[in-house]
Amino acid sequence: MPSPEDRRKFLKVGSFAAATGFVGNLLGRDANAQEPMQHSGMKQHDNMPQPIGNASARPEIPASSEVAAEYEGFSRFKPSRGLDPDSDYYIGKLVPGFRKASDGPAPFEAPDIPTLPYKMDNGVKVFELVPMAVQQEFHPGVKMNVYGYNGSMPGPTIEVTQGDRVRIVVTNELPEDTFVHWHGFELPVQYDGAATLTQNPIKPGKTKVFEFDIHEEGTFFYHSHVAMQEAFGQVGWFIVHPKRVFDPPVDRDFGLLFQNFHIPPTHTISDSWSMDWNWHTINGKSGPYTTPLVCKHGERVRVRLLNFAPMQHHPIHLHGHTFWVTSHEGARIPKSAWVPRNNELVGVAQASSFEFIANNPGDWIFHCHMIHHMMNHMVKQVGPRMRDDASVDQYLANLSSRPQVDASRSDKFATPGYPQKMQGMEMSEDFMNAIWSRKEVRGMRANYAMSVKGLMTVLRVLPDDLYELVMNSDQPVEKGAVFAEIVRRFGDPGKYEAAPRMMM
Amino acid sequence: MISETFPTETEVQGYRLDDFLTLAAQNNPTIRQARLQISAQTAKALQAGLYPNPTLNYIGEQIGVDVEGDKDSPGEFQGMTVSQRFVTAGKLKLSREKYMRRAHISEHLAMAQQFRVCNDVRIHFFRALAAREIVELRKELLKTAEDGAVTARELYNQGQATRPQVRKSSIALQRARLDVLSAENHYRESFRRLVAIVGVDLTDGVVSGELMPQGEPLSYQEAMSLVLTESPELAAARAKLAADRVTVRREQVEWVPDIVAEGGAGYNFEAKETTAAAGVSIELPVFDRNQGTIRQAQLDYRRQQEEIRRTELMLQQQMANVYQQYLTALQIATEYDRVIIPEAELAYQELLESYKANRVDWPTVLDAQMDYFDSRLTRVQHLEQVRTNEVLVRGYLLHGGLMAAPGPTPPGHIDAVAKPR
Repeated sequence: MPSPEDRRKFLKVGSFAAATGFVGNLLGRDANAQEPMQHSGMKQHDNMPQPIGNASARPEIPASSEVAAEYEGFSRFKPSRGLDPDSDYYIGKLVPGFRKASDGPAPFEAPDIPTLPYKMDNGVKVFELVPMAVQQEFHPGVKMNVYGYNGSMPGPTIEVTQGDRVRIVVTNELPEDTFVHWHGFELPVQYDGAATLTQNPIKPGKTKVFEFDIHEEGTFFYHSHVAMQEAFGQVGWFIVHPKRVFDPPVDRDFGLLFQNFHIPPTHTISDSWSMDWNWHTINGKSGPYTTPLVCKHGERVRVRLLNFAPMQHHPIHLHGHTFWVTSHEGARIPKSAWVPRNNELVGVAQASSFEFIANNPGDWIFHCHMIHHMMNHMVKQVGPRMRDDASVDQYLANLSSRPQVDASRSDKFATPGYPQKMQGMEMSEDFMNAIWSRKEVRGMRANYAMSVKGLMTVLRVLPDDLYELVMNSDQPVEKGAVFAEIVRRFGDPGKYEAAPRMMM
Repeated sequence: MISETFPTETEVQGYRLDDFLTLAAQNNPTIRQARLQISAQTAKALQAGLYPNPTLNYIGEQIGVDVEGDKDSPGEFQGMTVSQRFVTAGKLKLSREKYMRRAHISEHLAMAQQFRVCNDVRIHFFRALAAREIVELRKELLKTAEDGAVTARELYNQGQATRPQVRKSSIALQRARLDVLSAENHYRESFRRLVAIVGVDLTDGVVSGELMPQGEPLSYQEAMSLVLTESPELAAARAKLAADRVTVRREQVEWVPDIVAEGGAGYNFEAKETTAAAGVSIELPVFDRNQGTIRQAQLDYRRQQEEIRRTELMLQQQMANVYQQYLTALQIATEYDRVIIPEAELAYQELLESYKANRVDWPTVLDAQMDYFDSRLTRVQHLEQVRTNEVLVRGYLLHGGLMAAPGPTPPGHIDAVAKPR
């Protein structure tokens, strides 16, 4: 195993090496790590972007960690199971992250949702929460009218530590009564927020103060206790970190908050009375505008997933990894009851935590498996978009006289059921620019946006150098370059086909 | 399907309203009829004022009477006289005036006839124009129905439409095709009716113009005041009253006896010398002073006063109906123009954009498209009503440009005798 000094030295020169492409075998090989493939003699594939990053680097274990690369046959750096299902390390069950428990809990990270700041007042954490109407950008330029808190939907995350005393000052800026319920907390009943059962409404413009001790730990949330306000978006994370960091410690603590809305076409106001739901959001954004979760190769990752859909459960599926279900919203599950899964059904108002070792580099889709949730709204797949030589622009060009429809049909229509694939979907240039404007998506395949819809996001597992390149550098990164680099290092580059470049 | 070839804009000549008005003024027979009615009346006036001719009489009296030296003489008197009626009390002048006034009535009636023709030309022009626009809109709706049928088949292939729904779309398509055919037939009918009023033979053509009226709409008061002050029918009725007044005067002098003087010369075979003859006759108005006819003429005069009133009221009644139709159609057409069609167009556009953004399905867009074209169809139908009724409101409610032009009195009247009075 190389010394920590060597690793740090590598990290310092990494960016230079990436820029020049001149990287020698600065370091020795770690036999336990997955070895990057050597492609020096390989013919450059036409579609393959130029190599980036440090192609010969191996996965890094931070010097401060005492973790290993392999545990009883389970490798934190390559897809593996381990040798014994009864082992604590089977499918990485208790394989620790690089982060030490003594460093405290990993920071909770819910992409696109701000954290609610607090002030200390005589040992009490004081938060100010403002229920209000907000506009939320579900898609680039698509601003929907919903309710949230402090200008955000979902509301900002309240993050505390087990044992804290909190005071939450709620000032109602809605034009109607509201209630706030602290979901899951075993608090004095007068602060429970259940509409009129335990308190009078918070009138418009009025303030109510909630103050209680927190003895629990886990994934909680707050939400309006007026049903339609809940359906209209009023919810936010309430994360309580345990006083003693759970074992094994994780490197990443992600939060994904799933919601459904019904917003008719050409409209921006959600219909909270609907029994049908056509817009699906993760942390307030719909795929492909959802922000990917980015982690480093070999890290232990926790994803807390809250389903706050009004009435639909979500079978959540992560590609490329097998995760352990380590807790629900009520409490952490004893390790003996953890379940390894590829797909977990998360019911309405339930939160499940998934933990896994990110040992398979790549861009992995993470999505609800209900097909109607894998897009934002199901529309019947008929009309100009699937007709040869027809486009909506022809209709828009002259509204007073529509184009003649061609009634002839190609042979493809001889197949009953054709077409099943959505065809002729269009995304505007502005839309694509906004999608590609975020650092988390840098280097993904050029048409990734065509596949990430509705309740979908992406887990990106990146080798250290590529993680630095994507998340921390200002270097330009060609579309598809990071993905291709991963294929080059870990896949079968000779058979790789790059994405067509039409969706830039 | 059985159908006639339908003319297109590029194939045939295009006609504007003014073209038809010019042609009608020259060729509509009723306008000429009406002008002839005026001449007929002036001819009658001429006739009525002619002085009576003198009469040449041959007289042979007591033919065969015995006279000295001649047992069977040719007669006591054989000779020639000339008699002449001397018309008194200006009867001829009054008669001529009376018929001149009737000619004046005919002038008003000719004016009315001209309005009848022009109004009919306008009405049928706007009907043809509307029919033309309806054909175009029906063709758009046909394209939508064709799309509906294609869409139904697409949906069927994806298990999203049933066979009866596909059949229903075929029915809708065939109905749309029939709608186009009947709209085309209606256009041809409108054009041919228009051509018939114009009075010349025109092959198929297209009409062009603007259906939406320009300028401020007329208020009911304006419309009513216009018709009461300017209606040629009312003017004719008033002229008839003037003629009736002269008729009264004419009849009032009828009893004044004419003097008939007679004189001549002959040979008196009894006296065997040339003698003269003279005579004057005068009718003594002892029993018949024309009282009945004077009374009749006076009553006719009073009757005509009521006729003017009746005409006014009749025009009011017609105006109430026509104006209501004009106003309602104008209100509807204006609001379709101002709000409904722009809204329908925006709805269609927004749904197209929404479809482009993959948010709404095509059948919903097709519905909006159909609504939009259908709104435009409704607008045209109401504009046709607006124009038809506007022509009547502004044209003194006159129509019927192929009905025979009426005279001041019914045809076959006793006035048709050689010496009218």
